[in-house]
This record gives sequence, structure tokens and C-alpha cells, in this order.
Amino acid sequence: MKLTRRLTLAAFAGALALGTAMPAYAADLIAIITPSHDNPFFKAEAVGAEARAKELGYETLILVHDDDANKQSQLIDTAIGRGAKAIILDNAGSEASIAAVQKAKDAGVPSFLIDREINATGIAVSQIVSNNYQGAQLGAEEFVRLMGEKGNYVELLGREADLNAGIRSKGYHDIIDEYPDMKMVAQQSANWSQTEGYSKMETILQANPDIQGVIAGNDTMAMGAIAALQAAGRKDVIVVGFDGSNDVRDSIKAGGIKATVLQPAYAQAQMAVDQADAYIKTGKGPAEEKQLMDCVLINADNADQLETFALKD
Amino acid sequence: MPFIRTGTLTAMVALALALSACKIIKTPTAEEAAEAASGGFNPERQASELWEPKVLPYLDQRAGSFQEVSALAGSDPAAAGAKYGHKEEQGSAPWTFAAKVSGTVVKAETKSRAAYLDTDVDGDGKADVRIQIGPVIKGTAIRDSLNFVNFNEFKNQIQWAEFGKAFNNHLNAVTLDKLPREGLEGRKVEAVGAYPLPAKGQLPLLTPATITIGD
Repeated sequence: MKLTRRLTLAAFAGALALGTAMPAYAADLIAIITPSHDNPFFKAEAVGAEARAKELGYETLILVHDDDANKQSQLIDTAIGRGAKAIILDNAGSEASIAAVQKAKDAGVPSFLIDREINATGIAVSQIVSNNYQGAQLGAEEFVRLMGEKGNYVELLGREADLNAGIRSKGYHDIIDEYPDMKMVAQQSANWSQTEGYSKMETILQANPDIQGVIAGNDTMAMGAIAALQAAGRKDVIVVGFDGSNDVRDSIKAGGIKATVLQPAYAQAQMAVDQADAYIKTGKGPAEEKQLMDCVLINADNADQLETFALKD
Repeated sequence: MPFIRTGTLTAMVALALALSACKIIKTPTAEEAAEAASGGFNPERQASELWEPKVLPYLDQRAGSFQEVSALAGSDPAAAGAKYGHKEEQGSAPWTFAAKVSGTVVKAETKSRAAYLDTDVDGDGKADVRIQIGPVIKGTAIRDSLNFVNFNEFKNQIQWAEFGKAFNNHLNAVTLDKLPREGLEGRKVEAVGAYPLPAKGQLPLLTPATITIGD
């Protein structure tokens, strides 16, 4: 009697599990939501995640939120509506995105965050982010070394709502501020943007021609800065970026930008898809929600090995 | 007896209630205000409170001699990690090992603010390990070597970073600031500290928690 009841229960639970695992309206779909692909970093994430998802037999839905939290919220609705089994998300702000990820969770869709954290745990299944502080320290150490531990410099900051802008700036200053002969003459946000990096650099240079270095919170801003410096005939200014894009690699090889810090964007996105796949199949998340991926310094010594946010041996 | 104990307890609860009912207001210092604003997070205090009772004994107990640790780390990093090291369970951080260095300074770089002592431990006159002596301390090896702290218990990367930096600041204040900076080459050095698995071809960079420079 007991055995029968247990069996019935098990069968019932099994049917339930099947029912939730395979709704009729969706073949297994993974939504991949990132900021705009104009920045090659976000494009590499989307491409990496998509490639891994397809290898594992999923369909993908690629969406961009353009760093707009309202748009992100609508895209989450779209993913839920399309019956996505998981969302891979590079989010639009560490505070503003908490509600969006919670909404997906409430609708039974697990989120796997990449690149940027949210200021909450227990809502996403994973948060796989670059160790921005460790990376920023590597970049700052190289910057200080190239500057001979002294000189006037400019810092270009990322978008303020993005935690990564703050943490990179902190990593830079925790190193640079230890050198009393390093003097920051200007610090402005260029919102991760290449065009803003160019225009801000142009303006700063007019007010402060006596600069020896520029440290930027990402590669696109560094690309903007080096273009403005070169346009002004200032080939002597040391520029350091962050991300490890192919554009900066090429600039390093051509003697433009001096260094950057590689974030393993491609590997990170693939890892998130692997964890999503495991979660979909077994219901189990990783041992730790928040996972840090170490960054690697890129300069003229190893720029040759860099390709699409990954370092070849 | 049980009655007395209950009675005492009741009295204590009553006293506690009475105490919690009256509010003592004092003007907070700037540091206390900052701590309150960040939800009670004070990395400098945490680091200095952990230092003597937890960090130093942990490193001392966990560390092997540098020769043993580096030999095992070279052939089998995972085995060396299990015995002498620590790393976050997920993610891609390398192992950070605890080690005791006993050797001779072969080169001292003290002009840079990121000063270091290249140290020979096997008597061949060549540097085997680089001991950083600040005031600029690269990396967060002390934090990363500890098995009783975890990134997941912190609000975000910024607080985790501040916590790591706080150990470095504390180390500067209690140990490194007092070190001599002149005439170090050729002198004996003893240190207990931590270092991350180095990249190929690079000297291990040890952050000392304790260091003594002899004759």
C-alpha cells in the first residue's frame, strides 16, 4: 500500500517535472541579453554565448538593451514570453537590474549574469564577472611603470551606473595614489564610448596640454583618447585601456596604445551557458553564485597572442 | 536552584529590556558615519581585528617552507593548493600559497615605491622569490590565501576589494613601515607570507605577513 502510494506520488512528481521542463510552446531556448554590440566586448560575449548554446543544442534569442534599464525590463518580458529556459544577461546597472532579474526568477526563468554584478545575491543563479579590481591593478601598475612613477595624467571613467566603472577606478587609484609624483589633472566620464572618449580628450587636452598619460576605464574610450591625441600630434602620451579588444591589440602593435587588460569575455559567456545548461538539466546551480575571472595584462610582449578576448598559448 | 536561575534570568532580561529602552546618543566620528552609511562595513577594522588572532596563526600553520611549496606547486599545483594554498571555489583565480622564506637578499629594489627584496633560498646566489616590502603592495595575496573569508559574503566587488586592500594597509602599518631600506643586500631575511601561483618564467611574488631582516 505504502509502496503504491509512493510510486503514484513519484509518477505524479515526474509528470509535473516533465510538464515544467517541456512546455509545448518552446523548444529549448536561451535568451542572451547584452549592451549594444557596437562595443566589440559585448559582441564577443553574445557570439561566445550563442556558439556554446548552439553546440549544446539550444536555440538562441539575441537581444541588446543599450544600457537602458527600461528596455532591459521589456526584453526580460520578451524572454519570459517566449518561454526561454534561461537568460544570459550582461545587465544595465547594478541597482536597476535587481528588479528585472527578480521578475525573471518569479516567472521561473533562471538568470546567469556575466561581466557585471548586481548588488544582490540569491536572485540570479550565477554571477560570473571579471576580477575588475585585480585587472585594474595590473593596468595601473603597468601605467605607473611606463610613466616612470611620475607625471601628470588624465583618467577617463566609464558609465557611473555600472559598478565596473567604480571598481576599475578604485583599482587604478589604489595603486596610482601610492605614488606622490603621479598627479591626476583631469577625471571625466566618457560613458564607455569611443566618440565621447575622443571629444572629452580633445577638450581636456586644450585645458591641460602638460600631460604624460591617460588611463581609461575601457578600450573603446582608450581608442577615442588615442585618436584625439594623435590628431593633436601628441604621440608622446602614454595610453592604457581595459578589456583586451582586437582594436587595442592592433594599436599596441602599431605603437599607439601601450597596454590594456584582457577580460576573458568569450570564456565567461561560454561558462555561463554551461552553467545554464547544467541548471536546466539538473536543477543545480554552481557551488558559489558569484564567480571572479582573473584578468591578464596585455602589452607589446603578448599582444600577438590576443584574439577576440582570448589569449592563445 | 532552578528557581533561582530562572529568577536571575528574569532579572537579567528585565535589566536588558530596561537598558535597551533608554537611548544613549553620541555624536558619531567621521569613520563611524561612513561605516553606518555603508551598512556597517568597515574593512580596516575587520582586517586589523582578524590580523593577530586569525591571519597570523593561520598563515603560520598553513605554510610550508618555500622550497617545499614551490617544488610541489611546480609539479602539481592542485596538490600544493590542497596542502598549502587556498582559492575561491568557482571562477578562475589562481592558487595562493602560504610559505615560509628563509634566505639571503641578493637584490634590494628600494627606489621604487613598490619595493622588493629578491631573495636566494638555496644558496646558489640567484633569486628564487621576490618579497615585496611596500609601501605599494601588488595584489591581494594575504586576503586570497585565507580560507575563512569568501567573496560571496560581500555585497560586491568593491567591498571585496576594499577588504583586500585593508590587509595590505594593515601590513604596511604594523610591519613594513618599520623595515630598514638601506644596506639590505647580503643580509638574511625570514618571512612568512603568501604568494599567488606565478606566471611561467616569473619570480614568485611573496607578500609577507611577518618579516625579519637579520645581519
